[in-house]
Amino acid sequence: MTGSTKKSVVILGIETSCDETSAAVLVNGTDLRSHIISSQIVTHQKYGGVVPEIASREHSLHLYLVVQQALDEAKVNFSGLSAIAVTYGPGLVGSLLVGVSGAKAMAYAAGIPLIGINHLEGHIYANFLDHQDLEFPLLALLVSGGHTHLILFEAHGQYQVLGHTRDDAAGEALDKVARTLGLGYPGGPQIQRVAQEGDAFAFKFPRAMLEPDSLDFSFSGMKSAVLNTLNSARMQGDTLSVPDIAASFQQAVVDVLVRKTLIAIERTGVKTLLLAGGVAANSLLRETLENSLSEHNVHLVCPPPIYCTDNGAMIAVAGYYHYLAGDFAPWTLNAVPGLELV
Amino acid sequence: MKYLTIDTTTKVTAVALAEDGQLVGEGFLYTLKTHSERLIPMFDQLLTAAAWTLQDLDMIGVVRGPGSFTGIRIGIATAQGLAQVLNLPLIAVVSLDALAWAGLGRTEDIVPILDARKNEWYTARYYWKQGVEKAECLTSPQALPVDLWLEQLKRLDRSYCFVGDAAAKSKQLIENVLGERAVILPEYISLPRGAYAARAVWQRWQETGTGDRVEPYYIRFSEAEVNWAKKEEARRRAAHE
Ligand SMILES: [Zn+2]
Repeated sequence: MTGSTKKSVVILGIETSCDETSAAVLVNGTDLRSHIISSQIVTHQKYGGVVPEIASREHSLHLYLVVQQALDEAKVNFSGLSAIAVTYGPGLVGSLLVGVSGAKAMAYAAGIPLIGINHLEGHIYANFLDHQDLEFPLLALLVSGGHTHLILFEAHGQYQVLGHTRDDAAGEALDKVARTLGLGYPGGPQIQRVAQEGDAFAFKFPRAMLEPDSLDFSFSGMKSAVLNTLNSARMQGDTLSVPDIAASFQQAVVDVLVRKTLIAIERTGVKTLLLAGGVAANSLLRETLENSLSEHNVHLVCPPPIYCTDNGAMIAVAGYYHYLAGDFAPWTLNAVPGLELV
Repeated sequence: MKYLTIDTTTKVTAVALAEDGQLVGEGFLYTLKTHSERLIPMFDQLLTAAAWTLQDLDMIGVVRGPGSFTGIRIGIATAQGLAQVLNLPLIAVVSLDALAWAGLGRTEDIVPILDARKNEWYTARYYWKQGVEKAECLTSPQALPVDLWLEQLKRLDRSYCFVGDAAAKSKQLIENVLGERAVILPEYISLPRGAYAARAVWQRWQETGTGDRVEPYYIRFSEAEVNWAKKEEARRRAAHE
């Protein structure tokens, strides 16, 4: 018994990079005391996608309420916080600025450190919420509406991007195909829903693998193949099965993601894969990865779906590790819409 | 009552420290850097220079628009964050109302004009009655095409004092339409200043005596909303035919 009473690290995490206003209070890296997400999906649905100016307006109306609710549910006030972590990029600049401005003012007024978090880093760190004991090096497959990255995660804060998409992100391609099929927004979950009734091998869409040694992705051509198939069917007066198209396209996207991941695993020899980002909630991707990885004795770690989409909890987790490293942001912190991971 | 005001509705970052309506300290920056980079450091320096602490503040004032959409949101998010942590009332004022203070004591109508892009201004019209420290609003805030507004003013048979970030750069244009009936104040008076917001905030506090539930004041809808409404209208018409 040392009798030492180590002070708890209490982080308020704030996320406003796209269409969710979210805040969470996290104690010592794993004890999530509150997690509020105010989603704008319904607001953007009639426009068929996220409208940046409207997203910013919504964040502006909700940020302080969401933060207050997160504090109230966690039964802490600002004086009980160790630091405030906020997403400062990448994302929509107007949306990021609401979160960054609010977080800065709060941290300044509370006299506590401000921590700037890269949104991609947040997605990856969502995995640490339930697994603090993950052993480096790790491989992360980050798939969302804006990003498709294979990342070698060597230690806290140390990343190497092994491959990324050269055109559309996986989630973006799913969104676009969903829109063309008239399935609405957001597209990923709609494709998954409809695909359940379809035959994943009814259509043979291409799997873009690029150069043999490349870990980059390209989904634009795959998306075009779907659109071409639909167009030529329309010209001939045929109607194709929407579930079959959705299932076949989803299968093609998952195949590419899994194949590239396996190459990366072979090349790096890592024993654990972290899945991250909104598309990580896709059950076909999870199941296919799970099966393929177990054959290679690689462990798959994946956050529960609620922590896959944009959320404040993941920002708080990443913030916790920055806090331990003493990595704080200056009061001049600005939003960086095109922020890179490294 | 000691308070801080924030105005980021134009390219000027304007902050002020004031006590009971009297200006104590003022920050004014009109450079290429963003509000986001400047705001807290400016405020921090001003507090230090005035030998005030955060605990000295009794309320926070903010200018809630109209003006730059992004600027409005930066100002409000910052003011709300400060007020929330310090548990202070938040007072919100309209940018054009604040600018009316630039023309205090003048006999012409005060016409603030803020650049609203697309060849439009955010504008309004005020009048200072002799001996009364409250501007009367004669035309309420709106976004108007530049030519249309100048024509309307021309027809009104009054004289005007122009202030705001569009004033100095539109001098020629205004004088072409209104001639001798227009006075355009120089930039150092007519750009948004902490002092003007400090006065407007104090006036509002005296009138209401309570904090505001602050919401941005954009005047304009977003482009996506406008386009969507147009499409809906067209669809409705088509359905009727
Ligand atoms: Zn994301």
